[in-house]
Amino acid sequence: MIAQLRVDDRLIHGQVALVWTKELDTPGIIVANDNAAANEMVQMTLKMATPTGKKLLIRSVADAITVFNNPKASNMRIFALTNSVADALKIAQAVPGIAGINVANVGRFAENAKEATQLSATLMLTASELAALKQLATLDVPVFNQVVPSNAKTPISTLLKGH
Amino acid sequence: MTEILIASHGHMASGLQSSLEILTGMGARVQVIDAYVDDSDYTAQIAAFIATAKRPAVIFTDLKGGSVNQKVVLAAAGHPDVFVVSQMNLAIILAVLLDAEPLSAGHLDDLIVQSQVERITLTDAPADSEDSFLS
Repeated sequence: MIAQLRVDDRLIHGQVALVWTKELDTPGIIVANDNAAANEMVQMTLKMATPTGKKLLIRSVADAITVFNNPKASNMRIFALTNSVADALKIAQAVPGIAGINVANVGRFAENAKEATQLSATLMLTASELAALKQLATLDVPVFNQVVPSNAKTPISTLLKGH
Repeated sequence: MTEILIASHGHMASGLQSSLEILTGMGARVQVIDAYVDDSDYTAQIAAFIATAKRPAVIFTDLKGGSVNQKVVLAAAGHPDVFVVSQMNLAIILAVLLDAEPLSAGHLDDLIVQSQVERITLTDAPADSEDSFLS
């Protein structure tokens, strides 16, 4: 089962590798990202960032959905990562039983970041990402923003008010 | 949780604290000394940490044999449950900060071994399989 689906444009990095994998107690990390699945250099950097003792699987979003829905995956606590809200929405619509969706870091590296809507210090969403987030918030899964565990969990519905 | 003091020449200590805050949100869990950025005597802060910190405690310093390290070593002498670590880096401080086990000298040595500087080489690993991931 997906213990947490995190949207983070840095995918696996310091906050994720060191802090969240401990906090969530997840032996497996699945990166669901079309670019990473097709790019060996990106795969090597993600493997380098994976903490010792944790398993890593890098798949396209469509292939990752197949893995999440494999009956064997229901017995394993999985930490799932996407780098966009749109990809997280695809997973959330296709995979039942996700414990929570953490929209953590989005938009810092986007090309048109200046035109983005800023929802919090770490969320700068393009129009299409904002639309995906609104749709995500209507699903029957807790959706929140929490960059590191010591931050409060802010419901996305609170951040979306007025947008 | 282990009590931590970070002491450096200049702003390295507060810089590490800034990095810890971004990575973990736990920057306030460590005390810092930025020595020689003004003319104040920082040794009182070392003594106060040793006097008040719960044990075990760790003091990280920047450079082995540097004056900050010498002051710390002298102040910590006679306190076997205050460990002094030199040649510090972000990785070892994170390892101690996030560690759940009670800290012993042996366990601290293990964390140090895992936190060394290293030259990065990217090597082609065999493709991962769904079966081995889920087994």
